[in-house]
Amino acid sequence: MNGADKAQLRQVRAAILGNRSDTSLSSTLYPVYVAVIAASTYGVPASQQLFRSLDKRWLAEHVGTPAGAVVAVTSTALLLTVFRLVGRFHGPVVPPLPYLEMVVTSPMPRRVTLARYWRLSLGGSTIGGVLVGVVGVAGLAIANVASPVMLLPASLGGALLGVVVAELWLQGQLQGQFRAPPFGNRRRTSPLSGRRNALARLDITGLRRQAASNVTLGGAVLAGDLRTVRLDAARPTTHARRVRLKASRPLSVIARRDLLGLRRAPWSALYGLGFAAAGSAGLMLSLQSPRTPTMAPLFSLVLCHLGFGSWCEGLRLHADNSGTSRLLGLPYRDTALAHLAVPVSAWTLTTLVVGAGLWLAGPIGPAALVFALGAGALLAGTHLMAAFRGLPPVGVFGPHAGVPAMVFWYSKPLLATLVVGTATAAWAARAASPWDAFYGLLVGTAGVVAWGLALVDKRDRRA
Amino acid sequence: MPGRRNAAVPAVPEPVVPEPVVPEPAVPEPAGHVLRATSVGKRIDEAVLLLPTDVELGPAQCVVLRGPNGSGKTTLLRILAGTVPPSEGQATLDGSPVDERDDLTRTAIAALIGAPATYRDLTLVDHLVLIDSTWGQVGQRAEDRADEILELLEIDHLAERFPHELSSGQQQLFHLSMVLARPSSILLLDEPEQRLDTDKRDLLARILLDRKADGSSLLIACHDPAMTDALADTVVDLLLA
Repeated sequence: MNGADKAQLRQVRAAILGNRSDTSLSSTLYPVYVAVIAASTYGVPASQQLFRSLDKRWLAEHVGTPAGAVVAVTSTALLLTVFRLVGRFHGPVVPPLPYLEMVVTSPMPRRVTLARYWRLSLGGSTIGGVLVGVVGVAGLAIANVASPVMLLPASLGGALLGVVVAELWLQGQLQGQFRAPPFGNRRRTSPLSGRRNALARLDITGLRRQAASNVTLGGAVLAGDLRTVRLDAARPTTHARRVRLKASRPLSVIARRDLLGLRRAPWSALYGLGFAAAGSAGLMLSLQSPRTPTMAPLFSLVLCHLGFGSWCEGLRLHADNSGTSRLLGLPYRDTALAHLAVPVSAWTLTTLVVGAGLWLAGPIGPAALVFALGAGALLAGTHLMAAFRGLPPVGVFGPHAGVPAMVFWYSKPLLATLVVGTATAAWAARAASPWDAFYGLLVGTAGVVAWGLALVDKRDRRA
Repeated sequence: MPGRRNAAVPAVPEPVVPEPVVPEPAVPEPAGHVLRATSVGKRIDEAVLLLPTDVELGPAQCVVLRGPNGSGKTTLLRILAGTVPPSEGQATLDGSPVDERDDLTRTAIAALIGAPATYRDLTLVDHLVLIDSTWGQVGQRAEDRADEILELLEIDHLAERFPHELSSGQQQLFHLSMVLARPSSILLLDEPEQRLDTDKRDLLARILLDRKADGSSLLIACHDPAMTDALADTVVDLLLA
């Protein structure tokens, strides 16, 4: 950025601010201040409590081993992939709409007009990385698993991770544009020059779309409307338009519809498969030893919940449509249950394949496989709850409720999965016979399914 | 609001619309359903959405609801579709209260009141196959019927588009195609002419006349005088509440 560019940007900012004082520095530093306070007040105690709660022998056996390194590398790769994907819908460089229309569309170089927003995201990501590294290692150090000397490399590693996250996030934003990058052949562009050009390659249509989406999402989050968030974040379907839905019997055509929906959203089907396979494997393995930390089934169930949810778009679309004129010849509840056929079948198939592999390889027995299959019914119930929960009650928006109440209200389906699943999995791992825990899982599942069906009927009555 | 009621007036229909151009299957016997609103009104707290209204829709009849914005046309349609309970009076289908959750109500009444349920990952033709299948049509028949209905509304060239790829007028034709695709003997339509150009309004009037000739009953909220003249046996003028 040369002197003329700087002067021009200063003029623009002065014009935008008018008579108001420039609070950009304080408004930038405030979130950093809050993040540091939150990390030291809540993050470090939570981290050390987590590592203290784990079996020290188990932890010592796994941290620093090749298996531990594989988990660390896989988690990092997953994090980077997620940020790259997020960038397609919500990138790091999203100025507000008026700034886009009045400044970014001007003849000033785009890398100049967008530089400030990129620097903010890069700085936030780097500081976030440092805090994650410090909190994690501080917890390990307090739990006497790592030396305090590790804080320095952890901070540097975190900062590096933050920079890489920001870069991939920006690359995701570039990839999410409708137009191809305009500047020449990629093969002739070095990574460094590509990086320098990245801001200039952001097109106004993509920036406008993300800025408008920001406004929509902001409003939806404030109103507690997750449906709007989901529909706005998802790209419209355009795949496999020539594949037609085959006519079938009333209930089976709903399942065919869901299969076609997954064929038209192949990434969703694949994410579901990946998460469900990893989650079911983790769940089955976590049942094998009483020394396995409770965190293992808990984390596995989060993956299971995400994987199963990726296959439930048909169910969610059915719930979205409540209140509109009904055109299908099936009762509302029957349609909802028919929408569970595909995710439950996909879960059963995935678990059978993964479980059979683990069984043949030796680490698990038949009880673990049956337990994981039973967890499919639990996931079906919690996804019924999630799809048909509707909007939060007015009380959640009250002055005494606050954000935690909203988060709790929305997390109820996930919490139901985690509470019922983790409690019974921990019981199965520690009990002399895992079948008692399995019956416990079935009882908990029956309660969750009944809760989900009650929500379906409630939406039906409201419609 | 004592003393104020909405009342029906018989219309003098003028056959200004030409003969239907699209041949339909053999004319079924009229199902003989009678949809009736007796002193039906709707209020929420102090807000009056619909003044007490009487409407009777017999077999193969067409009643058109008219009135200024806010007079309760959509509310009356919702009540008669069984999706909203009245706060006074009674809405009945063949003498039984209408309730959309009741199989008999749902089998008899097809309603287009606001945008209907659509799946964003299904094309237009997929929607029609899905609707037909859930009403018991299987195999090639359902797929052929889906194509026929799209052709009837002159949107067959859009068969493989997704709903989000349509213009607002095309959306309206698509919504109408979904309502016409499902079996019914009573059609409740809320301003079906909205967002349609003149040619498409004429086409819609021809299709609805054809339906009426086949024995279907029509209850339509409509602001188009030509369509009203062409279709209405009775006109109900709703007063602003």
